[in-house]
Amino acid sequence: MESTFNLNKFLKAMQKRKALIILVTLAFIVFSAVASYTIMKPVYKATTQILINQNTVSNQDFDSLDIDTNLQLIGTYNVIIKSPAILANVIEELQLKETVQTLTERTTVNNIESSQVVSLSVEDSSMEQAVLIANTTAKVFQEEIQQMMKVDNVSILAAAETTGSPKPIRPDPIFNMAIGAIVGLVFGMGITLILEQLNTTVRSEEDIEEMAGLRILGVVSPVDSNLKMEKPLNLTDRLEKDLHAGNEKDKKVNAAKIGGSY
Amino acid sequence: MRAMKKTKRLMPRKLVARTNPQSIAAEQYRTIRTNINFSTPGLDSKVILFTSASKEEGKSTTAANMAIVFAETGKKVLLIDADMRRPTLYRTFELGNNIGLSNLLIRKGKLKQSVKASGIQNLDLLMSGQIPPNPAELLESDALDELIEEMRGLYDYVLFDSPPILSVTDSKILANKCDGTVLVVNTGKSEKISVEKARDSLATAKAFILGVVLNNYPMNKENYYYHNYDSQFS
Repeated sequence: MESTFNLNKFLKAMQKRKALIILVTLAFIVFSAVASYTIMKPVYKATTQILINQNTVSNQDFDSLDIDTNLQLIGTYNVIIKSPAILANVIEELQLKETVQTLTERTTVNNIESSQVVSLSVEDSSMEQAVLIANTTAKVFQEEIQQMMKVDNVSILAAAETTGSPKPIRPDPIFNMAIGAIVGLVFGMGITLILEQLNTTVRSEEDIEEMAGLRILGVVSPVDSNLKMEKPLNLTDRLEKDLHAGNEKDKKVNAAKIGGSY
Repeated sequence: MRAMKKTKRLMPRKLVARTNPQSIAAEQYRTIRTNINFSTPGLDSKVILFTSASKEEGKSTTAANMAIVFAETGKKVLLIDADMRRPTLYRTFELGNNIGLSNLLIRKGKLKQSVKASGIQNLDLLMSGQIPPNPAELLESDALDELIEEMRGLYDYVLFDSPPILSVTDSKILANKCDGTVLVVNTGKSEKISVEKARDSLATAKAFILGVVLNNYPMNKENYYYHNYDSQFS
């Protein structure tokens, strides 16, 4: 009957089932936390910075055109760093048990704010390994580029290093829990909405008030079956009248047997 | 004497307005009484029908308890079991059902001799009587109009308990002849669509719907407030 979406009704339903929604949300948060801390493997990230300077001719006339050229070249270097030409060497040097493909996926090369500095990041389940790969890649790149591009102006600005207690970049428990909370909230609200749609019985005074032409006269709550009788029935009145009415009680049994049905 | 003992044992569950006048439910019936009185101003005697969309929503229990709380005010009340297909009133009050409404509708017997004392002051009862083969036809006869007129002269409140409105036509006929109709709804059980259908049926019968009584309504804080308030001053 009532097919239109009613915001007020929706909010009331939410309020009525807020316990369910909170419970579902909490469940999702706990699940995210457990998954973050136990199931998901931590991933560490090591970054090394490389400075690339393309000034081969001379140090004079350092104009903007040169910088533009440099920036374009940096784009080329970015591709080169992730290419098999470099990474295959890295794998060989470090005796890694993986392919160029998987290493490429774990390697990111960024140009830091249009500067000539390139940052090379490697992700790995071990911090030491990540540092090692990052530094080796930088070193291999430094060597190889001289033959490829006939330049020798690549210098390592900041080598990756292992800090005292490295923090994994993934999983981020707080972030995962936040996502869990949002998903849980939406999920709980979805369940509430479905339950609300499924129940077609009259459950509250509002359900009646929504029907045009009907109003509430009152409600009657179920009587506690343990309730003691406060007041005994006074039957004297009836006994007197029944004497006049005749011997009806004898016939009562017959009447009770006659049962109709709708 | 044996019958009396049985009465004492069976009555408490249903007639809570009588057995537990201080209970929450009794107070709730009194609230409904007030609301009905406000809904029907200017009537010397009020003829009210209690019905519901489907069976077992609490029509008879509501009607009986309402009759008790109306009688409490000192007015003369007649409670009639107009459910001639599945009568219950005689069982609620543990009385016989050999004489009642059906007899009066076929003009057998007089109203005054047919009503029975309930054992409660100011409250008289009229059973359904022998189950007739044609209850709807009986109710449609002029005899009912005449009977209601006679009852108006003798009682302040005439309450009809009736069959479910969606099952048989009896309640529609009665609703048309009563001053007002109370629709009893079983909270959590009655379908919204059924209640709307019942409302539409009553509208077709040109009945005046006084309102809805939500039966089996879950307790909330307000109820406890009433209860505490009440017991504090009694």
